[in-house]
Amino acid sequence: MRVEFVRAVTSVLAEDQSAMFITGDLGYNALEQLSSTLGRRFLNAGVAEQNMMGVAAGAALTGLKPWVYSIAPFATYRCVEQIRNDICLHALPVRIAGNGGGFTYGIMGSTHHALEDLAVLKSLPNMQLFFPCANDHVAAAVAKMAELSGPSYIRLSISAFGTDRAALHEHPETLTRRYFARPAPRKGGITVVGAGHGVQVALHALSHLGLDQENVDVFGLARYPFDFAKDTELLASVAETRKVIFIEEHYRSGGMGESFAASGVSFDSFRIMCAAYTPGQRYGSARFHMNQCNLTPEALMAAVRGDR
Amino acid sequence: MMQKSLPDLVSDAVAIRRKFLKMHYEAKAGHLGTGLSDIDILAYIYGKWMRPADRFILSKGHGASSLYATLHHFGLLPDEDFATYYKDGTLLPAHPAAKALASIPAATGSLGHGMPIAAGMSYAHKHIHRSDARVACLVSDGECDEGTIWEAALFAAHHRLDNLTVIIDANGLQGFGRTEEVMNLEPLPQKWEAFGFRVSEIDGHDFAQIETAFQAQGDERPHCIVARTVKGKGVSFMENRLEWHYLPLSEAQYQQALDNIGGAEKSKDGGGR
Repeated sequence: MRVEFVRAVTSVLAEDQSAMFITGDLGYNALEQLSSTLGRRFLNAGVAEQNMMGVAAGAALTGLKPWVYSIAPFATYRCVEQIRNDICLHALPVRIAGNGGGFTYGIMGSTHHALEDLAVLKSLPNMQLFFPCANDHVAAAVAKMAELSGPSYIRLSISAFGTDRAALHEHPETLTRRYFARPAPRKGGITVVGAGHGVQVALHALSHLGLDQENVDVFGLARYPFDFAKDTELLASVAETRKVIFIEEHYRSGGMGESFAASGVSFDSFRIMCAAYTPGQRYGSARFHMNQCNLTPEALMAAVRGDR
Repeated sequence: MMQKSLPDLVSDAVAIRRKFLKMHYEAKAGHLGTGLSDIDILAYIYGKWMRPADRFILSKGHGASSLYATLHHFGLLPDEDFATYYKDGTLLPAHPAAKALASIPAATGSLGHGMPIAAGMSYAHKHIHRSDARVACLVSDGECDEGTIWEAALFAAHHRLDNLTVIIDANGLQGFGRTEEVMNLEPLPQKWEAFGFRVSEIDGHDFAQIETAFQAQGDERPHCIVARTVKGKGVSFMENRLEWHYLPLSEAQYQQALDNIGGAEKSKDGGGR
């Protein structure tokens, strides 16, 4: 998603002279073009994320709209108090981009995984979260962030099970994607909801494992706070199936699944498939980690079969 | 921009201290020592240094009440807001709140936050807006324990933010001990110089020295004023006493403090007897 993010944000920065781009010394082979064209509106703040967020807040207090970029854990946990106090409490238009949501950074190890970024940030005042489901979802999220007068965060990820399966519909405001064509009215079945690139697990199952398209509805969420009053297709699906399997490449605690369960949507059964480390954890590729915590298309197939 | 004479500023500082003591006495609020150590610096900044486009960031957020008193003294904080200090429903809590007062740009109170904000404002003004706005930022010496102060110092020097003045309120006392015992910062001026700042070291209660430091011709470096101050300055029983970071004033102590500060009843907000 990084390429798509840079392309989209380049367009925002070209159109809005009050926008600027700050990186925490990352962006090799990605940000060179921005760096050479933006002049002082491009700022490498060095390896100092706390200062970087404070600087972004200070710049925003003068009327600028900074985009702040780093690897997801460094753009979030390292500087969460700066995000809270300096940016969120002041409702400043600082747009934070965290590259490498979930297990994206794989073999780089646990310091580079981002399994609680959404949990940490969703509790902060005025913060809006964006977690695109696929590369072709990023530009819409960036455009929404550029409209906001307050803070936002985008989680840029690569799914170990990524497909290029196209969405059949995307809500223009919530950015929620529908990936099934089952006509209403439906009876029974299951609603599978993926948060961000977590939905790729389900799309892989649809494309490669023969997930039952007659009985399974698949949605991808991409924005928090949720606005289910607008996501009428999702509400209709859950109202008919009464069964939800929620998939996210994030810890259960504080994740989007918990928020979904608490959102007032009514269902009879709700199951979360999520990321976790296991005792005696070993390290490997993103796919290795997904397998380790049973966050796989095969596990989804089993869950769908077991849930019916 | 007010153009106060130095004798006027001395009188202003007395009036601000009286106002400050009254606030704390009535509110039964602590943080007296830290406010008394920075009031002369605040009086200079608001009485003489600041122009309309300039901004001041109180990185040592626990000095909020001295800032409120200073703003009110110079007519920058409305009476009706000022009267609510420390009370339920106020916009003036013990540390500055976000988006609460037009005259305070940023909430502070968690130490080490204000200076990065000030550095970001300075960068934006100098390199993007290309304005001549200046930024002053008041940091406590204990606050220099925070890594973000030094992250921001590197940043400010690297980007040649000569529109930034950082003032260290070096009163030598921090939360639970003397700075030299808790986490020795000295030699503080040399540290800031090594980080790329132009450094002035002054008596932070001497207006002539404060003015000389603020008015000194600079170069491309950001400026750091190491202001040697006395925590509790002006009140004999508070000076250099750790406990006055925390304690409120009894009535007898309040009267004694006013006697120490001196000055006349200048306004309805001055300390009354």
